Amino acid sequence: MNATTPRRRRLRPARAGLYATLVLLALVYLAPLAWAVSSSFKDRSEIFAFPPQLWPDPATLFNYATLLAEQPFWRWMLMSTSVALISTVATVLLCSLAGFGFAKYEFKGKRLLFDVMFSSLAIPFAVIVVPLFVLVAKLGLAHPLFALVVPWVAPAFGIFMMRQYTEQSIPDEILDAARIDGCSELRTFWSVVLPLLRPALGALAVWSFLNTYNTLLWPLVVVSEPQYYTVPLGLQALFGAEGRQYNLVLAGAVLAAIPAIAVFVLLRKQLISGLTAGAVKS
Amino acid sequence: MTATTDTAATRRHRAQIRQRRWAPYLFISPFFILFTCFMVVPIGAGVYLSLTRWAGLGSPEYIGLDNYVRLFGDQSFGASLANTAFYTAFALAVVLPASLLIAQALDARGLKLRDLFRLVYFLPVVLSPIIIALIFGLIFDGEYGLVNAVMEALFGFGGVSWLTDPWWARIVVVVLVLWRWTGYLTIFFLAGMQAIPRELHEAAEVDGAGPVRRFFSVTLPQLRPVTAFIAVTMLVNTAQIFEEPFLLTQGGPGESTLSVSMFVYRAAFQRQELGYAAAAGVVMFAIVFALGRIGSSALGVGRTR
Repeated sequence: MNATTPRRRRLRPARAGLYATLVLLALVYLAPLAWAVSSSFKDRSEIFAFPPQLWPDPATLFNYATLLAEQPFWRWMLMSTSVALISTVATVLLCSLAGFGFAKYEFKGKRLLFDVMFSSLAIPFAVIVVPLFVLVAKLGLAHPLFALVVPWVAPAFGIFMMRQYTEQSIPDEILDAARIDGCSELRTFWSVVLPLLRPALGALAVWSFLNTYNTLLWPLVVVSEPQYYTVPLGLQALFGAEGRQYNLVLAGAVLAAIPAIAVFVLLRKQLISGLTAGAVKS
Repeated sequence: MTATTDTAATRRHRAQIRQRRWAPYLFISPFFILFTCFMVVPIGAGVYLSLTRWAGLGSPEYIGLDNYVRLFGDQSFGASLANTAFYTAFALAVVLPASLLIAQALDARGLKLRDLFRLVYFLPVVLSPIIIALIFGLIFDGEYGLVNAVMEALFGFGGVSWLTDPWWARIVVVVLVLWRWTGYLTIFFLAGMQAIPRELHEAAEVDGAGPVRRFFSVTLPQLRPVTAFIAVTMLVNTAQIFEEPFLLTQGGPGESTLSVSMFVYRAAFQRQELGYAAAAGVVMFAIVFALGRIGSSALGVGRTR
């Protein structure tokens, strides 16, 4: 300790430079967002005023009021959050189950099946979007809640992540103890493994929620009735509409970002450690 | 122990062993069922559709390899391939090193507010691309945008047509990619750096290695698995880029920011050329899958032990 103290003192200017760089970078990240939040409270004509005003003057709720009065925004929100929540619950269950299967069992074909699963990460959406659309639309599976949720509830990335975590953090002895107590394999998973996986489950849940909550391309392809629009779809329609009502879109964007940012800020530590666990150790 | 309880116990033991044999298949089956229904079958159907002409009504008309022949001569497709290659190269050559540098900065010993910085840099990942694209579209607006206004104020020149000039539009798209993904990659690099045993750094320091030397001979080699993972993820993701150009420039001006995914989307859902779109999808699949597999096996991604 004593040896490093004088050294650190000498590094002070470097430290200052480091902090300056990091703060500057943080500004690059925050400025566009701050500008968007602030602009959402501005009169439409004030949005492009220069120099830009950090505090909207006069501040107005007009954009929010108009958006909520003219557009079924809460309906989009309900659709988005239900799709995201249903997907998240299913994803967490299916991925942890499959991750457990790959991590803690030896079985014939394991290596091949794992490789197949892992390779599916490299399948571009562009190759499946057209036939999948045909499949869903033509076979009458087109109810948006079905089409938006079911195809995506067992993502390979989630399984990979859960396998890494299970391998590292569940000792075989615990499983054997549960088996000696007469637990079935499913029972062992449910009451022994799942509780121990909690941090990783949190990470996977956040990841899955944010993914489904924000996704645009697949909903754009498969949802045609406005009553089933998700928030990104609604905003996209509003953005592309005549007259470019960007003031309304800004207000909607700010409202839509609130749940995502809240989920992230609350669970960020779990998300970050869970996401990175697999990549770091493999 | 009596003989009867012994056999009961053995029987139960046997049942357990039998169960242990099929349980893993049961556990991984949901993935493989969904994978078959929503990936394997569509890919097969896509390959079939790519050999047909079909507008979505009636039955597809078999035309052999005509779609592929047409793709090779299609300038839009060529442009979309070139643009996508540009985006991907940028992601690997700029975004990746940038996030490595940021991670290195955040890894500085005793750094205060590390969590806050990391949080801020990660924020764009949390936001819907529509939100990000809207903000960037307004900020880079050629007439009223903030960027031009700031440049005007600083340099007296602010007339750049960011979104309507082919090259500037491409630049704005990659700036958006940089802004959106750097923080995400940073957390992976940072986690990797924090997992490096401190003794390695200390040993190098004792041997007289300065910070730069330590970065190249301790940090980088130790980060190999993370880097491999990130590079392959980024390669596969950027090769599929859709949202950034779709929302920001609609592929324009002309087709100068069009990506392959957008090409497929347009052919299928705006021009109803489902067979042609499927063919473009198959070509894309071949390229991305090959690159992804080559990348993974060359770098050894996804294997433990």
